[in-house]
Amino acid sequence: MTAANTNSRLTRQRYRGFVYGIGGLAILGLLAGFVVDQHFAGALVYLLGAWIAGGIAVLAPMWSEATLQDERDWELHNRASGILIGISMVLGLSILPVLYVLEAGNHLEITGVVSGVVLTFSALFLLYGVCFGVAKRRI
Amino acid sequence: MQNDLTRRREDDGLSQGELADALDVTRQTINAIERDRYNPSLELAFKLAAHFDCSIEDIFEPEQDE
Repeated sequence: MTAANTNSRLTRQRYRGFVYGIGGLAILGLLAGFVVDQHFAGALVYLLGAWIAGGIAVLAPMWSEATLQDERDWELHNRASGILIGISMVLGLSILPVLYVLEAGNHLEITGVVSGVVLTFSALFLLYGVCFGVAKRRI
Repeated sequence: MQNDLTRRREDDGLSQGELADALDVTRQTINAIERDRYNPSLELAFKLAAHFDCSIEDIFEPEQDE
């Protein structure tokens, strides 16, 4: 029997605490920057926090002897991603065609923000298609 | 999928954490399997069977269609 989790300083609980804690501080720093009109400082705190939290999230499981993630975490990640894509597709397919019809009928003008959202959704679906293709080749 | 992992683990005097360490998974995964909220991969099912020196079917029982 291994005793990796008991001997390692970095437990799963600490690992998650670090990642979520630093990530939360990064977001709070960004918001605080807006509130006190120190946008640059806030953005810098956000940048550092995002990089540090992201770095810990990705690298700690590689370096730590403790089991910080396992197959169930990947399953949860896959399910959550599937739900997100499903919701996005339902919203996209139900809303985007309506917007195009309304625009074609001169009842609506697709302006900058809406156009940006439409392009973002389109890019997301294209990227999903590419990722699906890559994943399919490996199974 | 129904299983008697809890009984086997307790018979061996192991905590969920100890079993998790032995199999290189998290305690939450063992807990989720015992509560029938997560079905393990084939690899983990084999590891469990090897750990308890039994077959996979001895631990897991697929739900029968009525």
